[in-house]
Formats: sequence, C-alpha cells, structure tokens
Amino acid sequence: MDLVLQLLVNGLVNGSHYALLGLSFGLIFGTTRITHFAYGSLYALSAYACWWVTAKLGLPLVAGFAAGIAAGAAAGLLSYGLLYRPFERAGSPPLVILIASLGLFIVVENAIGIVFGTDTKVVPSPPASLFLVGPAAFTSVQLAQLGALVVIVLGLWLFLSQTRFGRAVRAQTDNPEMATIIGIDTVRLSALVFALGSAIAAVPACLILVKDGGTAYMGFLAVFMGFVAVVVGGIGSLRGAVAGGYALGLVESLGLWKIPSEWQSTIAFVVLFMVLLFRPQGLFAGRQ
Amino acid sequence: MKKLLLGIVALALAGGVVAQSAAGDPKVYKIGAILAMSGQASWYGTVMSQGIKQAVEEINAKGGVNAIPLEAVIDDHKSGNAQEGVSAMNRLLSIHGVKIVLTSFSAPTLAIAPLADQNQVLLLNGGGVSNNLVGASKYIFHNRSLAADLGRAAALHAQSMGAKRMAVLHWKNDAGDNIVRAVRPMWEKGGGSIVAVEAVPQGATNMDTQIAKVRSANPDIVALWMFAPEVGIAVKRLRELGMKQPLIGVEYTANDAKIAGEHGEGYLFINDYFQPSAEFPWSQQFAQGYERRYNAKPEFYAANYYEAVYVVAELLRRARAQGGDYLNGEALKKALYSNPKFDSVYGGQMVFQPNGVAFKRVGLFKVEGGQNKFQKYIEVR
Amino acid sequence: MDYILHVLVMVALFAILATSFNLLIGYSGLFALSHAAFFGIGAYATAIVALKLGLPFPIPLLMGLAVTAVAGVVVALPALRISGDYLVIVSLALQVIVIAVMLNWTGLTGGTDGIRGIPRIQILGASLDTAAKFLPLAVIVAALCYWGSWRVGASPFGRALKAMRENEAAAQAAGKNIVAMKLAVFAIAAALASVAGSLYAQYVTFISADSFTLELTIYVLAMVILGGTGNLAGSLVGAALLVVLPELLKFVDLPPDIADKLRQLFYGVLLIVMLRLRPQGLLPESASAHHYLAPAVRPRVDRPIAAAALEGRGLEKRFGGIVAVSKLDLALAPGRITGLIGPNGAGKTTAFNLLTGFIEPDAGEVAYRGRLLKGLKPHRIVRLGIARSFQDLKLFTRLTVLENVLVALPRQRGDHLAYVYFTPWAVASEERANLGRAMAILEFVGLQQRAAEPAADLSYAEEKLLAVARLLATDAEVLLFDEPLSGLAPNTLREMQPIFRRLADSGRTLAIIEHNLDVIRELCDTAVFLDEGRKLAQDTPERLMQDPVLAERYFK
Repeated sequence: MDLVLQLLVNGLVNGSHYALLGLSFGLIFGTTRITHFAYGSLYALSAYACWWVTAKLGLPLVAGFAAGIAAGAAAGLLSYGLLYRPFERAGSPPLVILIASLGLFIVVENAIGIVFGTDTKVVPSPPASLFLVGPAAFTSVQLAQLGALVVIVLGLWLFLSQTRFGRAVRAQTDNPEMATIIGIDTVRLSALVFALGSAIAAVPACLILVKDGGTAYMGFLAVFMGFVAVVVGGIGSLRGAVAGGYALGLVESLGLWKIPSEWQSTIAFVVLFMVLLFRPQGLFAGRQ
Repeated sequence: MKKLLLGIVALALAGGVVAQSAAGDPKVYKIGAILAMSGQASWYGTVMSQGIKQAVEEINAKGGVNAIPLEAVIDDHKSGNAQEGVSAMNRLLSIHGVKIVLTSFSAPTLAIAPLADQNQVLLLNGGGVSNNLVGASKYIFHNRSLAADLGRAAALHAQSMGAKRMAVLHWKNDAGDNIVRAVRPMWEKGGGSIVAVEAVPQGATNMDTQIAKVRSANPDIVALWMFAPEVGIAVKRLRELGMKQPLIGVEYTANDAKIAGEHGEGYLFINDYFQPSAEFPWSQQFAQGYERRYNAKPEFYAANYYEAVYVVAELLRRARAQGGDYLNGEALKKALYSNPKFDSVYGGQMVFQPNGVAFKRVGLFKVEGGQNKFQKYIEVR
Repeated sequence: MDYILHVLVMVALFAILATSFNLLIGYSGLFALSHAAFFGIGAYATAIVALKLGLPFPIPLLMGLAVTAVAGVVVALPALRISGDYLVIVSLALQVIVIAVMLNWTGLTGGTDGIRGIPRIQILGASLDTAAKFLPLAVIVAALCYWGSWRVGASPFGRALKAMRENEAAAQAAGKNIVAMKLAVFAIAAALASVAGSLYAQYVTFISADSFTLELTIYVLAMVILGGTGNLAGSLVGAALLVVLPELLKFVDLPPDIADKLRQLFYGVLLIVMLRLRPQGLLPESASAHHYLAPAVRPRVDRPIAAAALEGRGLEKRFGGIVAVSKLDLALAPGRITGLIGPNGAGKTTAFNLLTGFIEPDAGEVAYRGRLLKGLKPHRIVRLGIARSFQDLKLFTRLTVLENVLVALPRQRGDHLAYVYFTPWAVASEERANLGRAMAILEFVGLQQRAAEPAADLSYAEEKLLAVARLLATDAEVLLFDEPLSGLAPNTLREMQPIFRRLADSGRTLAIIEHNLDVIRELCDTAVFLDEGRKLAQDTPERLMQDPVLAERYFK
C-alpha cells in the first residue's frame, strides 16, 4: 500500500511534467498545425539559458528561470519566423515541414553540445526539502513541478478565455480558414503561439535542470512525451493535453506496481494504445 | 567545398590504393579510435579522445615510436550505434589503412569484431566491459576490469559490511545485466537476499518509480550497477527522497559527482584503482598534463585510453624488433603476449590475461568531503 | 575499395526501407512509425533461424518475411479504426513493445547481449563475408524489392491506395475495400522492411536492440520525405543522399572534439536547405495514367440497362438523443429521377448514408432486387450496383481528373495484388480498356480537356462535374446524387441537367438531393419531402410545391 501511494505521488508529479510538455507542445501543434519536432532542442536551449545565468553568471535561480523563459520565447519566435513561415508560404505539405523541423532539432542539439560541452550541467539549488504524505516522499522540486502546472494552467485558461488574443487562438485552433475569414492575422497569431508555447516549455525544462541536470540531448524525450500526451489527450484540446500528460505519468508509474521496471515504457504504451482503441479521437476530442 | 571535392576525388582514385602492404615502415603510425563523439553519450567520447590526444602528443614530443610519429584518427559511432561503428571501421580500414583501433561501447565493438578478424586489426577497449566482449575478436584486448568483476567486488564489500538485503538499480543493457547475473549467486550463497532489481534505461533521467520500488523493499544496502551519468542522478535522488541506507556502486566520475553534489557524501564505489598521486609519478604527470590541456581533472576513462596508446606504442616497438611485416593484429598480439606486463598509468603494472583482459587492481573508494578517498584494494576472483 | 562498397550496401538496405516506407506513408497516407520495428523483427527472426537452425539462405529471409508480415497485419488491425496522428501512437506502441521484447526475452533474442556470430550468407559455396561479395546480392535484392514496390505503386491498386489516402469515405464510395487494402499494404511494407533486416543481420553478423529504435524510423522518414512521397524513385534518391551525405561530410577536416557534432549540425542545415529548395520533395508524385494512352474505343456511358427499384422500409436512425430518420419508407423507381427535398437537417443525407451502407439503421431494412443489404459495407453495396456522391464532393484532390474517374471503375483486376504480380499483362490490357471507358465518361460530362489536371486545380463547376463523373464511373444502376448542382450558375445548370435526364432515360434509378426548386421541378419525376427525419409527402414537384402546409415549412 505504501508503494502504491508513492507510485501515485510520483505519477502525479511526472504527470504534471508531461502535462506541461503536452500543454506547450499542444498549444503550438493545435493552433498552427506544425509538428514542431524542434521543440525538443528549444526546450534544451531554455534549460541551458537558465544554467548559464545561474551557474556561470552566479545570479539567483529565479533569474535563471526568467532567462530560460525569455530564451525559449525568443527561440520559438525565431524558429517560426525563420524556418516555418517560409515553408508555409511555399505551401509545403505538413510532412516536409516535419522533416525541416527535424533538421532544426539536429542543428540546435549539436550546437548546444559544441558550445557548452558534453558534460551534464547542474545548477546550485537550494537544499531540497523532503515532504511526506504518509509514507510517500517527494522533494521541493517535485512540488514545484506540480505547482507550476497549476499556475500555468490557470494562467493559460485566463489568457485563452479572457483576452482577445486568447480567443483568437481558440478560433484558429478550431478552424483556421474561418479564423482568416473573420479577420484574424493568423501569421502574427502563430508567431505569438510559438513564443508562448516555447516560453511555457521552458518551465519544465528549467525544473528538470534543477532536478536531474541538463544535457544537450534532453530534448528528444521531452518532445516525444509532449507529442504522446497531446495525441492521447485529443489534438486541439488543451484540457486533453493535460489529461494525456497525467495519463502518461500515472500509467508509467502505477503500471509498474507489480510489473518489473524493464517493461515501463511497454506498459505505458499498451495502456495508451487501449485508450485510443476505445476512444480513437483521444480523451477529449478537440478539433476533428 | 574544395575539401569536399578533393575528398570525393580521393575516394574515387583511392580505389586501388589500400593501406601499406609493404613490409617497410610507414611514414606515420595511424591509430584509429571509434568513440561516442556525438549523441547522448558524447561525454564519454570527449574524455576518451582527450586521453588519446594527450598520449599521442606526449609520445610525438619525444620523437614518436621507432622514430615514427603517431597519428590518432578519431571516428564516431554516435553513442553506441552498431551500423555507425561498422561504417567508421570501414572508413578507418579503407581510407586510413589503420591496423590498430581503440574501441568503445558494446554494440559497435561487437559489430566491428568480424572486420577486425578479417583484416587482422588490433582492438583495444578501455570502456565498460561486459562478458560478451571478452574474446569477441581474435585481436581484442581490454585494459579495464570486467563489469561483472567490479560488481562482485562491490557485493563482497557489502557482505563484509554485514548487509543482507540488497536492492539493485541497474542499467538496462548488457553491462548492467551482466553485473546483476554475476552478483546474485554469490550474494545468495553468502546468505543474503536480493529484495529488488530495478532496471533503468541508459540515458534515462527519471528514475523515481524505480527508486520508489527500491525504497518499499526495505533494503539494507542499495547497489547501483550503472555508469555515468546515471549514477550521479541515482545517488542524488535516492538521498533526496530520504533513503539513508548505504549506497554502493561501480562508478563515480566527476560528471556524477557534479550531479550528485553533496548527496554523494558517503557513497562507496569500486573502481579500477586510478588515483593520481605522488606515489605513482606517471599518474600524477598524466593528471597534471591533462589538467593543463583540458582544464579538468582526468577521468579514469581518459586514463585508460591514454594508457592504451602507450600500450600500442610499446607493442609497435616490440613487434618491429621482431622484423618482418609487423603492422598487423597477428604480430602485435604476439608481441603483447611475449610479455603481458605493461606499465599502467594507474601506477605499477597491469597484466594481460590469456582472455585478453588486463588485470588491474581494483579499489574501494568512498566519497568524503567531496573527494574520492581510497579505502582499500579488493581482490576480485 | 571496401569502404565505398560498404556504403553502397547500406544504400541498398536503406533503399529497401525507404521505398517500402513510402508505400505506407506516401501512397497510403498511413503514418505508422513502426518501420524500425519491422526491420528489427526481420533481423532477429533471420538471426535466430540462421544461427539456431542453421538453415541456408534464403530460408531465414523468407521466414523472417512471414513473421514480419504477420506483425504488419497486427499493427494494421487498430489502424482500421484509427487514422492520422492517432495511428502514430499505435505504431509507436508496437515499436516500443518490440524493443522491450528484444531486450528482455533473453532466451530467444539474447536480451541486452544481442545476437552475435550470425552465419554469413552462402551462395554457391562462397561465403559473402566482405562488402565486395555482399554488394551484388544486396543490389539484386534491393532491385527486386523496388520492383515489388513499384508494381504495387504503379498499378490500379496503387492508385486506389492514393485515393484512400485522399479520402477514405470517397474511396469506399468508389467501391474500394479499404480494410483489405490497409491490411495488404501493411503486410507488404513490413515484409519488405524485414527483407532489409534479414540482409542486415547476415551482413553485420551482430544485432542488438539499439539498432532498431525510433531514431532509425525517423532517419528513413527523412529519406522518404526528402525524396518525395508518392514517388518511389524519389525514395531511392532520398536513401542514397542521406546515407552518402554524412559520409562525405567526414572528409571535411575539423577539430576532432567537435568534428562529429559539427558534421551533424551541417547535416541538419543541409536537410533544411534541400527541403527549402524543393518544398514538395525532390521528385514529384507522378500520375499513374495518361489520357493520351487511351484507345480510340469509347464505350457508351448511358447504354440502356434495366435497373430495379431501391427500397428503404421503416428506416430508423438516432444519434444520441437526436432522431435523424424515423419510419422512413423510400422507393426509388428505375427510369425515374426521385428528388429528396426538405429543410437542412431533415435527414436527407442520412437517408443516403443508410441506403448505401455508410451507416447502419437502428431499425428497418434496405432492399435491392429482392436482396436485403443488411450489414454490407459500402464498397460491397457499390459492387452490387448502388452508388452515391457526397455533398462536400470528397474529390481525390492530388490525383488527376482522369485518375479520379479511373479509380472508380468497377471490377478491376488491378485492384487485386495477386493479378498485379502474377498476370501483369492482363492488368495492363484491362487498364488500357479502362482508359477508354474513363475518357468516355469524361466526354459525357464534358471534362475531357482537363483529364491530366490534378483535381485540386479545377474550378467549382468542374469539381461538381468530376463528382458526377466519378459516380458514373462505378457503373452503378442506382445513382444517388447529394446536392450535385448546388452553387452553380444558371447557364452551368442548364448544361448539366440533361446529363441526369439521359441517365434516367437509359433505365437507371436516380435520386437527387437538392435545394434548388427549379431544378427539382425540371428534373424530378417525383419528389419526397423530408422534415425532422420523417417523410411528410411524396408527389410530383408541382403538387408538392402547391401544398400550403409544406409551403409553410420550406418553400417560402
């Protein structure tokens, strides 16, 4: 029973992490319909920006987070403007844009390795306090992961429902042709979404940097999980992305209760696959 | 662009020109190396290649071997990909005509072994050694202890500490599985029980689930059968999540120490006994040279590959003295076994056993005050 | 030199992988990321059979092929229900599971140790133990695999795959059994990938799970996209480029500690640049048929036939709480044009869907020529002679006008792979005859000038004509048109209306859903008024439109 509780706590924390990945990836994917594979390396870039400011310049961790978010937003914006927009204008099919994104992923990932070296980067972090919920333990970083999700979900929800930009985002996610017809500048909106999504992605990136350290290659798993969370949750639905992330985190954790850990990814995928078998459109059907 | 065209032309022309088949001396001794120069595990490639380069520079500064300079040709297997290893080996053989290759990582090594046999290429491995790498090729040698032996040494010490319930966190690959398989029988024979065995994929950073299961198994001691950088992450998380049991493992590089930080205090680990000190002048000289060049303390991985180059130099000297066509795996192997004792940068000498693995003393270390403090030698049987 | 020969062997293996992957994602639109798993299953099956059973070439290859084809079908089964991005997850699941099995089923696969010492291929006593000796076999096998893929792609079956990619519902409406097609293409793609895996295993003689990860699938995906989806020669080019490029980059001298990362970076840049220069991929998708090869013979499109009445009796359909259709009796008479009119949401399209098997009724039955059409899939109903068009057209936009019509022609031997492979001459001659039929249909509707244009380039009126042409191509006796004339200018209407009259006069059974009352009045012999899922009245158009109650609901 102790173990189950611990696994549940782990699952919720990891679920929060995956939910953040799903949220940020899903925001970009759902609104612009671009499979932003390079998301992974921009995620890593944000973590490195945080590390640079904290470990190299010696500024406090908060400044590092701010730097990570700023770097993420800027990188997202640049990637849209310099890479994706020209392909969009040329009318490239989505698969071509996917491979171009892969190219960018490779470029950024290796650039990070060249510039910063191949060792794991760590940041001096405040001593991690241990929290106990009954027999289940978790650290302050994990609490921060949970908290970050709550804050960001709240913020995003307010943004999408209350602001003009937010409503435009929802419109474009729903129906891009209609969005253009009613006068939304879809290009500017896509750029904004890229910036916003990448900024959000910076938060889990920096948290992982604090928790496990960062390497140039930390991005592949992130984009992979983000993508899975979005698809399982339902493309175009941000609620779905969060649900998908939690589904992933919980299954990955609780699934191992009686099953050897060798099968961790197998059990996760089998369960997700069952979900899709019964709900082929994902947990929360977003756009069709 | 010009280089590229030249490269293509060279490729085309070189169809007939293969490595020296003449029995005479080459103008330069080329030593190939296939390392993890890109990809997830590129930290290993970085430190290994640094060791190689330092050795080559030092030897050439003294006039080379047999008055012939050495040249290192470093290639990439992209963090352990077998196909890339084969391509790299083909490149080294055809374009550079190497007869000596320093290899690393299981999959590429196993994949190039047949090519080494066919072309009589000497292989030297200084990285992790799982059992199936031993004798993988007629010409393969290892200057690093078997992972299984390191694990058993650690388990031996754990037994001597009185621990009975062991929980294991291990790399899900051949090295990790080897250690698990090697340790279980001896641990159980000693009256102990293995209460948990949790696998972590190489390259994974999140082990919380595995750690949760380890915790709930209530062990006396937690064994970490894994290598950099996952060891550092494991140590850190185990301590952060409140586990107070002793931790024992088979590796702790500077990378791991950085990740684990102060949580590494008290961590015990078995390693090939590499400890630069005045007691072993070569080790100190190597360490100082390394720090000067690369602004970092040397890892034992770097030491192994540094040392491997010196072994190669010695082999070239011996083999040439025998005369004839000496630049091939067969002659070099004979030269090696003519006297299997070689100076080790660790200090003292290492002895290559008939199975090709160099016997090195293995030591128990403890992390104290942020430093790896040597405790004692452990006999590995 | 062995190095170049080794690179060529790798090109050959990746050519097999890329062309087979192209069949799956390029031709069929089935985005399944499990190709590396298929490659790996073939490799492991071959390794185990060759090593443990000592069987000679090509038995291990064939056994690996059989096992992997089954695996392909296993992935295909969920694909029958799921499509698009969701299929990605399903295929990823297979990929992950296959790797886990490779790593953990130590007894069979050697677990994390992998399998080494795989016997080399022996041919005529010679062991293929060097790149030089292996290359001829690799090239021959690659050529065979390419031919096998090309035969699929260039055949009517390949055209049907592309149609399915464009629109599954429309493909079904054109009489294609998309379930069988999906199963077949998965099996073929998986089998071909396993051939590459089999060769790989006996070339390198060592395999482990690391070689068959998602990264490999992504690598092959890049080859397919770069080369151009839907063009198999493009996949060859893509494979050659992406194998050779990194090797060429090795010749650029760079400081060793960052050399390989820099080369990777440059590779990424090149990928982007190449795609930027050719945003559709290097080689474009080619049309499978050309109008100028059509024979002069033009069979008559409106030849007289004796169709029968299509009857729907007591049809009921609910969606959740909404009643779409209730107690609906419809009898569509041959030689007549029956109109279906009524407000939006009245259930007109639902009625069509029920009559043609796109939806199952909750109650009631549909009968044709005394036979109940219960439980039949749409493509089977099309083959029985009942076909429909779609309100939103669902044209196969990336196919040409000619191909849109060709794909809908009935009883094509070329739809069956057995004929494609074993009697290609029969398929070819039938294709020629079909070209004549297709051109006849295009001439009947007046679209013959646009035969070589992609459907995406047509004007609105031309699109409506093509939808009609595609329906005619099915040679169905019962033709159900869903708003075929909506949104057309009056002169276009006047040009098109005679088409329907001629078809009805030839003995066919026609039904039209329309909102344009003039069209109804001029074309329809009888009209059915539907509202809220119920048939309120059936009469001649004049009398219906004079009914005051109906007028209140709809006509004013």
